[in-house]
Amino acid sequence: MSPRSIRFAAAALIAAAPLAFQVASAHHSTAMFYWGKNVKIASAVVERWDWTNPHTFLYVTVPTPNGPEHWAFEGMSPNHLGRTGWTKHTLKPGDKISLVYYPLKDGRKGGFDVEVTLPNGQTMKQLSSPTDDPSKS
Amino acid sequence: MSRNWVRGLLLSVAMLGGSVAVADPITPPPTPADYAALGKLPDWSGIWQPEWGTLFASRAASKPVLQPEAAKVLAQFDADKAKGENLQTDAANCVPPGMPQIMRMPYPIEFIYSPGRVTIAIETDSQVRRIYTDGRPLPTDPDPTFNGSSIGHWEGDSLIVDTNGLNPRNSIVEGVHPTDKTRIHEVIRLGKPDHMEIETTITDPTVFKQPLVLRTSYVRKRDWQIREYVCQENNRDAADPFGRPSLDISK
Repeated sequence: MSPRSIRFAAAALIAAAPLAFQVASAHHSTAMFYWGKNVKIASAVVERWDWTNPHTFLYVTVPTPNGPEHWAFEGMSPNHLGRTGWTKHTLKPGDKISLVYYPLKDGRKGGFDVEVTLPNGQTMKQLSSPTDDPSKS
Repeated sequence: MSRNWVRGLLLSVAMLGGSVAVADPITPPPTPADYAALGKLPDWSGIWQPEWGTLFASRAASKPVLQPEAAKVLAQFDADKAKGENLQTDAANCVPPGMPQIMRMPYPIEFIYSPGRVTIAIETDSQVRRIYTDGRPLPTDPDPTFNGSSIGHWEGDSLIVDTNGLNPRNSIVEGVHPTDKTRIHEVIRLGKPDHMEIETTITDPTVFKQPLVLRTSYVRKRDWQIREYVCQENNRDAADPFGRPSLDISK
């Protein structure tokens, strides 16, 4: 894990973790992640945003004193995200973002995408239910 | 219509000299009256999104009561899981889950009426279930398939569906697989406005001591469409033969 990463406990996300576990397991289990353990990257630059099934992928560059690190994050599918406000245009190469993720257990530079804060300051969540908000129905 | 399939069946058997091979029932050309009759069925238009809460709650509540042999298989599954195996299913390799779990994925489904049939289009893995409502019986010796063979009939505003012929690779619940004795009975009906309830009862005397009942609720979304879902598009996950997970994060 990057020394620049800041661990924090986001109570609401922790509380939602068991439900999110079930839902994310539609395609695969979450056994390879520390599921529910939020880690933040305060500053990253988007390299690529793959709007693909069964999962979106977000590749970013994280600046460090030792040079740039490359990180990869699996996210929810376009089918899910497309119904909760995301689009294929939400992220583009060069965007400066911050993000929260669940780390891979094997220590590689990657994990599961939990939320992204866009250059305009808007925070987009990956694991919100499309049936929770009646205004979106 | 039901007489037609019986005729087709008898003809097929007669032509084969009574051998075990039985052709599929003949579907007669529908009449205008057959199409008009569809207008009397309940309005299940729109698409239906499972409520995440019910997927989660019913999984927790649906603990199977197993026969000793099946309990042994599940105990071994759990023991292997504790060793780091069986953490991942073939779904990670893009194999569809089949029945009954294909009806319990976190993506929507859609009902399409046509004479003699209700078709369920399922977003997950772009799957389709064909439920024949023309009076034919369940096949007696079906080839096992992921979604099984289904027939249905209407009782008031409820669609009653019976399914057999499940692929033993499917999981009924985690670590429990169907056999050729497994039967699934579904009661599908509207509950409160724009809500659908599906009660799924699974029986198999060789696996369960008592029927396993799963309940799922769906919410109608009139402004959604079923989207394509091709799992092989960019699958970076995998399960090895022991069910151990991996994730390719290379760019």
